Amino acid sequence: MHYQICVRCVMDTTDAEISFDESGVCSHCKSHEARVAQAPFSQSDAGEKLAALVARIKARAKGEYDCIIGLSGGVDSSYVAYQAIQLGLKPLAVHFDNGWNSELAVKNIERMVKKLNLDLITYVIDWEEFRDIQRSFFKANVIDIEMVTDHAIFAALFKLAKQHKIRYILSGTNVATESIMPKAWQHFKFDLLNLMAIQKKFGQLKVRSYPTISIWHMAWNKYMSGFQSVPILNYLPYKKEEAIATLKAELGWEYYGGKHYESLFTKYYQAHILPKKFGVDKRKVHLSDLIMNGEVTRELALKELEKPPYTESALASDREYICKKLGFSQVEHDAYLNASAVSHFDYPSYAKIAMALVKIYRKVQYN
Amino acid sequence: MLRIRVIPCLLLKGRGLVKTTRFKDPQYIGDPINAIKIFNDKEVDELVLLDVLASVEGKGPNFEVIEEIANECFMPVAYGGGITNLEQIRKILKLGIEKVVLNEAAFQHPELISAAAAEFGSQSIVVSMDVKRKLFGKYEVYRARGTKSTGLDPVAFALTVSKLGAGEIFLTAIDRDGTMEGYDLELIKQIARAVPIPVIASGGAGKIGDFREATHCGGASAVAAGAMFVFHGKHRGVLITYPEADALKQAFL
Repeated sequence: MHYQICVRCVMDTTDAEISFDESGVCSHCKSHEARVAQAPFSQSDAGEKLAALVARIKARAKGEYDCIIGLSGGVDSSYVAYQAIQLGLKPLAVHFDNGWNSELAVKNIERMVKKLNLDLITYVIDWEEFRDIQRSFFKANVIDIEMVTDHAIFAALFKLAKQHKIRYILSGTNVATESIMPKAWQHFKFDLLNLMAIQKKFGQLKVRSYPTISIWHMAWNKYMSGFQSVPILNYLPYKKEEAIATLKAELGWEYYGGKHYESLFTKYYQAHILPKKFGVDKRKVHLSDLIMNGEVTRELALKELEKPPYTESALASDREYICKKLGFSQVEHDAYLNASAVSHFDYPSYAKIAMALVKIYRKVQYN
Repeated sequence: MLRIRVIPCLLLKGRGLVKTTRFKDPQYIGDPINAIKIFNDKEVDELVLLDVLASVEGKGPNFEVIEEIANECFMPVAYGGGITNLEQIRKILKLGIEKVVLNEAAFQHPELISAAAAEFGSQSIVVSMDVKRKLFGKYEVYRARGTKSTGLDPVAFALTVSKLGAGEIFLTAIDRDGTMEGYDLELIKQIARAVPIPVIASGGAGKIGDFREATHCGGASAVAAGAMFVFHGKHRGVLITYPEADALKQAFL
């Protein structure tokens, strides 16, 4: 297949499923447009929609808090916390500690909880068990190692929501800056069947305390017990640069340079493992989202992509730290980077059925 | 003049970190390597790392874990837990740990203190003592993580270990551990006045002002804190923190 890059964003044929129209505009930025057009903040009654949501959250509060916010120290979740306070909500902040926190992430969380006067619970995952599952995902050669974290965050938030009788989880997910994602570049995060199958095959420890949630359980939560996750940033006009500026000015917050780089593992995964082993440069989706959100020009994005994702010295020291923490030797890690990728679907999975359901859900979610 | 040292004290249980309250109810707070990496970036003065099971379960020091930790630490580290002989101390110091903390050995083999001080120098030998306040305000030294009383008077004990050659005393008020209600100033005063060696105050720190009290009023040479550097707020959410350099400078003025 010949190489082609979108004329509007910077997505290209490194995603095998990309398609282009006759003028050279790709399927990804079109779907970005469509999803943004559908989001509450794009509607003429955006203000009323947000007010109604806030009123609903407040009205359904049972205890001290009316919502839960997962705080990672990153931009999106920090901005959710900031907005929640502005909107007069009473959030319980939850930080999920998977053993890969950067000092800056922790410092940002500290600034947030102190300045916004948030009550904080930290869900500290058992590192030995978590590490074993992460190791299994390396051994399985599958692309979405971050599924191990992302799945557990959702599961942990729901667990805590139940414990504290809080019905709403405010998530930082947003269509403005997170719409584009080639299917092959990540896996369905709630594919519990896949996760457990990979751990069963490659893991050394039994899954005991690692929090899990199945899609059936999630559906039950939403439709039967009324616990749900709300992407509140979709109710607001959301610009990354503006959010960063606000957080800096109001809370003394600091940026860590790069989407999701607040976690040491995520940084290494996105800036080294993905490009090196899977031929995936995730900066393309982040930059394309920002182009579509009117925050970056295509020219600037292309320039950004010319830079290596890592400086050499940072790569060497991060690599050493990551190997040490995961218990891989440098040789083992090299072998891993050179081994061919294996599809998540080579292991048991219910992602295909689940994704079909999600597609239907997306059409009706704001109704 | 060097500023008073402010030392995070971390408790190791197996391969994880825990934090206790009055030496009980260990709460898991995560992976030591990640915590140490964060403390590195925060440029802490020094670190005390105590393995709470090593002596109680009769196991020696876990050298593998100690090595991992020593390799990660940029700051000076004192390690304690399960040390019973010179050979172990030699090995620990070789791994890059600066000081060893003796506790159970001070009761079972006090001669180890003098032998170790003679071989490695007093500056690398810390003796820790855990003290409980008894009825009518009398203090008593406890051993085995606060589970066994010894009948020993803390002042007499501190004098003994200092004469044996200990370079520092790590003094913990068991009743204050993890409470963040402030140090036991009376206890610190009694010990700091009695011995010629530095006393590190531990147990109860909850705010920067407590450090000043321990040193200025209590006479401690350095201060340690656990809960204050790992917990935040009423739910005790785990959040690693350390005061900014300016704030510390102000506190000790």
